[in-house]
Amino acid sequence: MKRLAHKVWTRVWRGQPPQGWLLLAASATAALMSAPVLYVGIRALSEPAARWEVLFDERLARLLWNTAALAATVGVVAGALGVSLAWLVNRTDLPGRRTLRWLLALPFAIPPYVGAMAYVIVFGPRGWVSRAWESTPIDMYSFAGVAFVLSVFTFPYIYLVVGSAFGRLSRSHEDAARSLGLGRWAILRRITIPMLRPAIGAGLVLVVLYVLSDFGAVALLRYSTFTTAIYYQMGGFDTGAAAILSTVLIGVTLLVLGAESLSRRRSRFYEGTGASGSSRRVELGWVRWPAVAYVCTVFAVSSLVPLAVLGYWAWQGVFLTGLDARFPEFALNTLQAAGIAAAAAMVLAVPVVYLRSRHPSRPSWAIERLALSGYALPGVIVALGVIFFSLRLAPAIYGTMLMVATAYIIRFLPQALQSAAASLASVSPRIDEAARVAGLSPVAVMGRVISRLIMPGILAGGALVFVSAAKELPATLLLRPAGFDTLSVRVWIEASEGAYHLAAPPALVMVLLSLVPLKLMLDRYKESS
Amino acid sequence: MKLKVLAAASLSLLAITAAGCSPAPAPESSAPPAEPGELVVYTSRKEDFVAPLLEKFTADTGIEVEALYADDAVINRLKEEAGSPRADVMIGNDAGALEYLRLQDVLAPVGDIEGIDSIDSAYRAADGSWFGLSARTRGLIYNKGLISEADVPTTIWELTDPKYKGMFAITRGGNGSMIAHVSALRAEWDDVRTEEWIRKTKDNAGAITNGHSDIRKAVGAGEFAFGLVNNYYYHQQLREPTDNNVGFIYLDQAEGEMGAVVNAAGVGFVAGGPNLESARTFAAWVLLPENQREFSNASLEVPLNPEVEAPEGTAAIDSYRAHGLPLSRLGEVWEDTRTLIERAGLDLELK
Repeated sequence: MKRLAHKVWTRVWRGQPPQGWLLLAASATAALMSAPVLYVGIRALSEPAARWEVLFDERLARLLWNTAALAATVGVVAGALGVSLAWLVNRTDLPGRRTLRWLLALPFAIPPYVGAMAYVIVFGPRGWVSRAWESTPIDMYSFAGVAFVLSVFTFPYIYLVVGSAFGRLSRSHEDAARSLGLGRWAILRRITIPMLRPAIGAGLVLVVLYVLSDFGAVALLRYSTFTTAIYYQMGGFDTGAAAILSTVLIGVTLLVLGAESLSRRRSRFYEGTGASGSSRRVELGWVRWPAVAYVCTVFAVSSLVPLAVLGYWAWQGVFLTGLDARFPEFALNTLQAAGIAAAAAMVLAVPVVYLRSRHPSRPSWAIERLALSGYALPGVIVALGVIFFSLRLAPAIYGTMLMVATAYIIRFLPQALQSAAASLASVSPRIDEAARVAGLSPVAVMGRVISRLIMPGILAGGALVFVSAAKELPATLLLRPAGFDTLSVRVWIEASEGAYHLAAPPALVMVLLSLVPLKLMLDRYKESS
Repeated sequence: MKLKVLAAASLSLLAITAAGCSPAPAPESSAPPAEPGELVVYTSRKEDFVAPLLEKFTADTGIEVEALYADDAVINRLKEEAGSPRADVMIGNDAGALEYLRLQDVLAPVGDIEGIDSIDSAYRAADGSWFGLSARTRGLIYNKGLISEADVPTTIWELTDPKYKGMFAITRGGNGSMIAHVSALRAEWDDVRTEEWIRKTKDNAGAITNGHSDIRKAVGAGEFAFGLVNNYYYHQQLREPTDNNVGFIYLDQAEGEMGAVVNAAGVGFVAGGPNLESARTFAAWVLLPENQREFSNASLEVPLNPEVEAPEGTAAIDSYRAHGLPLSRLGEVWEDTRTLIERAGLDLELK
């Protein structure tokens, strides 16, 4: 009997069962990461059926429509922007493409709620434009306004993913098509775009997931999606309804992820190696001037204008009215909560990726999936889960800053995991064996040898977590203890009150912080292209 | 090289983080009651209105205050935390919400409070769990350049009159003041008539805004002739450097009419809060006449206590006829008023 169990256990792990401590550490992380979501589901299911019915009758259809329409519109606009720009700077003889290439990634550093604030200052009902001309070309507090802001600040997801795919794309297919006499537009339409489809799909999923989870920009522009409805439902008086709406939103998110993996399975391309050296670019001819104008317009709208607005108000705030005296305190709070989250994420990530890489199997796959579950979850849902979870199982952390840090870890651990896993992929298991032979214990192999080898990946992941946490808004708003305001919370409070001279300095700090992951991402992008 | 920079950066980050955490008895560290000289305040009122009051409290008493400014989210947070309360005092915008929390046993009395008699019993809980301090009286702000005083409606029912179609603005249904107003109308009329009023008023309105600041600014700028707000928004608009040619009408003032609907901002005490002594100190302190004045000073609300001097240029509480409804009545209907508003077709949140 015992032998049978042992046999089954070994087979499950494909002959390489992990050490107990490793399995325990990784599963504990996975459990911590997924517990809050489970709590949300349990809370929703324990609501009486009548509550579900009322919500389904009155709210759900409109929320679904609002959310889907926004996600689809932003997906199309951001997709068109991202793909066209990536093509222009990577595959054509666009003048100034080297500079434009990184300038176009800049909006990635501007959190959409900060961008929304900037555009309210410019185009809002009492903004600069309507003061000067008594009317504005766009009503910011409308569907068009929200779609505009989200598209302009999310297209870099697609631009970066597709740009890096352009870099990897071998040119032999295009060359073959050219030798068969296809024109350059036909090549673009029939060869290049279909081959880019997986990258476009991956970028689109990132954008759509972002739209589903965004709270700040959507709420600031007074639109209503699932995420804002959940937030206000909690702000109201009704956590049960918030849990029900969250469960539906989780379902929608899973649907999006499922659709993506399905479409990826259907269209699979195999990249040959080599032949990517030829640097022949599409010659734009006279089209290049309109193309330059287009690229510069996108840059102006997505970076120049918002940064100028922020700069102006930050200058006003710092030099004319004086910085908020509590600014250092807010900055320290941000540093503390985001720092704890980053440090914890770096530590927690290692056993999970190590288990997955050295003991590939169904259980380790499941553990990794669970640990990744925060990746697609809106902050409001994570916050709701952390509240339920900590009140019942960890009352000691309830109402403390650790609650905020926990939400950050759940939301952003996946970034640390991906970064560490990428580094670990290039470390051969032979090194583990060698270290064991040299007499090191298994714990020391992972903790001292491997961790040190993949340290660049771990640190890069920690930096990503830190910056994402510093920018995080909805969970921070819902979970912060009394007297613990962070920079992002202050941006939100002051922007909601129209006190832009107080909102701009912390917003600018966050933009500057975000340059760190942008730099990391561009470096990775350069390596791969 | 890059690696070294990153490592150095993250090390210093950890060091700072650790330094930030280490002064061991950090005020937010876990459950045990904080040292006696502390008070935790949750408030749904704007920070600009509350922060000066709390600073004065600390200056006067030496008690440190930790404040959470989180709009109406604090109501739910107090409910969620009822098992292990973290706050001592709730400073609210709406007597209905305060009474609702009392009915849920989230608020409780802190014993006899000196000076409580200075507040009319219509404006506080019978057991002293909460008391109002400043009036938020509903009425119409109007733009004197667009409409003459004689043409502005004088009763709340007139907002349903088609001749005002598109001329005015109201807030969304989920706004706390709007909920309280509708609750008062339900007490005065009945649900059928209240629902009719909501439906017709909503269809008649030229805009439905998120909050009252939008209305006062829009009326000041001439986008609408008038709007339904609380009286202090009128006082705030008067102090704007531009767009300030506005007037204000208290509604239903004639003999036999219901009188203006008054709500109150005030203070409630959290059942089982960690710093009971501080909460008691705060209760007695805030009822001192000078602090009652301070409570409404920044928002330009009017003190409920007629003995306390009102902010300059505002109408004192006894200069118009107020609706006689005891505010604690708002609490009983508080939750299903939202349902009624939604059923009548006025969205709680802007879509």
